[in-house]
Amino acid sequence: MSDAILKVDNLKTWFYTRRGTVKAVNGMSYSLNKGECLCLVGESGCGKSVSALSLLRLFDSPPGRIVEGHVLYKGVDLVNCTPGHLRSVRGKDIALVFQNAQAALNPVFSIEDQMLEQIKVHYDINNRAAIAKAQTLLEEMMIPAPERALKMYPHQMSGGMKQRAMIAMSLSCDPEILIADEPTTAVDVTIRAQIMHIFRRLKTSRNMSIIFITHDLSLVREIGDRVAVVYAGKVVELAPVAKIMEEPAHPYTRGLISCLPDISSNLNRLPSIPGNTPNPLDLPPGCAFHPRCSMAMNICSSNEPFLTGIADDHMVACHLYNARAGENK
Amino acid sequence: MRNYIIKRLFYSVIIAWGILTVTFILLRIGPSSPVDRYILNIAARGSDVESVRQAIEARYGLDKPLLEQYFDYMGNLLQGNWGWSFSASMPVMDLIGSHWIYSFQLILLSTIFAILLGIGLGVLSAVKQNTRFDYAASIFSFIGISIPNFWLGLMLIMAFAVNLGMFKTYYDTSYSIWSLENLRQLILPVLALGTGELAGYVRYTRSSMLDNLHKEFVTTARAKGLPERTVIGKHVFRNAMLPLVTIIMFDLGSVVFGGAYLTEIVFGIPGLGQVSFNAIFANDYAVVVAVTLISTFLVLFINLATDILYTYLDPRIRYE
Ligand SMILES: Nc1ncnc2c1ncn2[C@@H]1O[C@H](COP(=O)(O)OP(=O)(O)O)[C@@H](O)[C@H]1O
Ligand code: SF4
Ligand SMILES: [Mg+2]
Repeated sequence: MSDAILKVDNLKTWFYTRRGTVKAVNGMSYSLNKGECLCLVGESGCGKSVSALSLLRLFDSPPGRIVEGHVLYKGVDLVNCTPGHLRSVRGKDIALVFQNAQAALNPVFSIEDQMLEQIKVHYDINNRAAIAKAQTLLEEMMIPAPERALKMYPHQMSGGMKQRAMIAMSLSCDPEILIADEPTTAVDVTIRAQIMHIFRRLKTSRNMSIIFITHDLSLVREIGDRVAVVYAGKVVELAPVAKIMEEPAHPYTRGLISCLPDISSNLNRLPSIPGNTPNPLDLPPGCAFHPRCSMAMNICSSNEPFLTGIADDHMVACHLYNARAGENK
Repeated sequence: MRNYIIKRLFYSVIIAWGILTVTFILLRIGPSSPVDRYILNIAARGSDVESVRQAIEARYGLDKPLLEQYFDYMGNLLQGNWGWSFSASMPVMDLIGSHWIYSFQLILLSTIFAILLGIGLGVLSAVKQNTRFDYAASIFSFIGISIPNFWLGLMLIMAFAVNLGMFKTYYDTSYSIWSLENLRQLILPVLALGTGELAGYVRYTRSSMLDNLHKEFVTTARAKGLPERTVIGKHVFRNAMLPLVTIIMFDLGSVVFGGAYLTEIVFGIPGLGQVSFNAIFANDYAVVVAVTLISTFLVLFINLATDILYTYLDPRIRYE
């Protein structure tokens, strides 16, 4: 698509550990369009967080290393740009919201200190203006008494307030792209509703481009425009939300959708995908899903399927949708 | 906070009083007396030993019951009178007044040396984890921790003063405290006293930095676009400092009580360590009690300062 503002192409982030090479992200490809919310979904451990961190080279290195691939943003490949350029993109063009605000905020500095340092590193702005900006953001995040909240330390705030302060901080330099890594996993139901409300508003009022990471398909329905289904460090299916929900193509996606609780289904037989999540230290050859796939063919254990379009806006990485694979059956 | 400080000061006084009492009793119940030194001299001159002893003991109240002596001593102390040094033949106050600076300069310089260099090397070691620099620092700190500082002092004197002749083998009091020569002659003592501390601080700082280097808030700091020196020097360092403050202050106590005094004796520095060392052998109880009291208060003060510093460094800590 022509209005993609971020393109991730065959990205591979591997961790070289004592136990072996963890192929956490293993050929991830997708693009993000201006103003859309792209959801990355997949089971825990499939490489969602590492792929998000990889966009800004934020994973631990060593042991992690990007061994292949590109992250194109405004004509620059963030995988091999200068550290200086990367710093100017971090927090300014692309901002991150982490899962656990409790751990992501530094316990020994006030919210004001943590917000202002970011604003000041990216803008040539005086203290008063920076404080005003920070206050406005906290207000936008529906934090009561923003001027008082600014003076607080993380431990003085409730969980929901910390999470919203974290979102406010990520928005402090008016980023083009917001990456939210499971922003509602660590909070309770009421706060989750508030946070989701905030994200919906970001889309409408700021026309924000969002990468929303979750393992919860019900949140995808709530906020997503398109979905990238991730399995073993790779996007295996990419399509608009409605399409994924109604006509999932990849066997793994079909499994996920059938796991979705829904009012009409009998709660006693909640299906789950049989088999274990793959060990990233030792990924199965060919299609990494083949040991769990009920449709697996001979070719699946030897040849890796690549993302190919089966419709205008629908891509799948599965041999079932590849004419040649059918022949080899 | 203010109530907490007042409470702590109150406890400090109680602790100091306890230590004072124990020291006083231990020194006074022994078979020897502070006048023994005089007696020795007089005996050599052939005078009537017993009558002289009685005269002196009566004059200084040493013939009274121990409890009465104790109350006399406490009463004087509360009025600011620290008693009389028999071995130096001057008021304890004057004796300490002319010697404390030698201990103070040694403790201050070696502490600054150990803290600055130790933390600096520790931070570098953590940032350059598993590099040659890190290994070298680890070996150095391992050796530094294991060497007793009086032995290191003797070896330094042997090598640099005796063999290489770079320094005098004794501490020269004829230089003014503020002179460059004095600073120069403190190099070996500071190395002897500070190296053990330094080595410990390298280790503690390194491990504390490593504990924090991979915390999530560090990733946040990087994700915000902060330069690496802010990420390490502010976000990691401030958190790494928290356990270090306690360790450093604790070590400072052992420097004040032990290391400094031994080092003074090895290098012949006429500080309070030297003074109390002589006083113990002369049974000069007033001096020993006074030095003990000063050291105790210093350590208690350091502890209090640690607590206050801690509330400043960690906003989660509040004392009631
Ligand atoms: N620093 C690291 N060192 C080694 N392995 C890592 C590291 N960070 C993540 N991994 C591994 O990468 C894989 C993907 O993790 P992650 O991206 O966090 O999954 P999730 O999809 O749940 O967010 C996991 O197997 C994890 O163990
Ligand atoms: S490629 Fe084969 S194993 Fe993989 S999902 Fe498709 S059918 Fe199943
Ligand atoms: Mg994750």
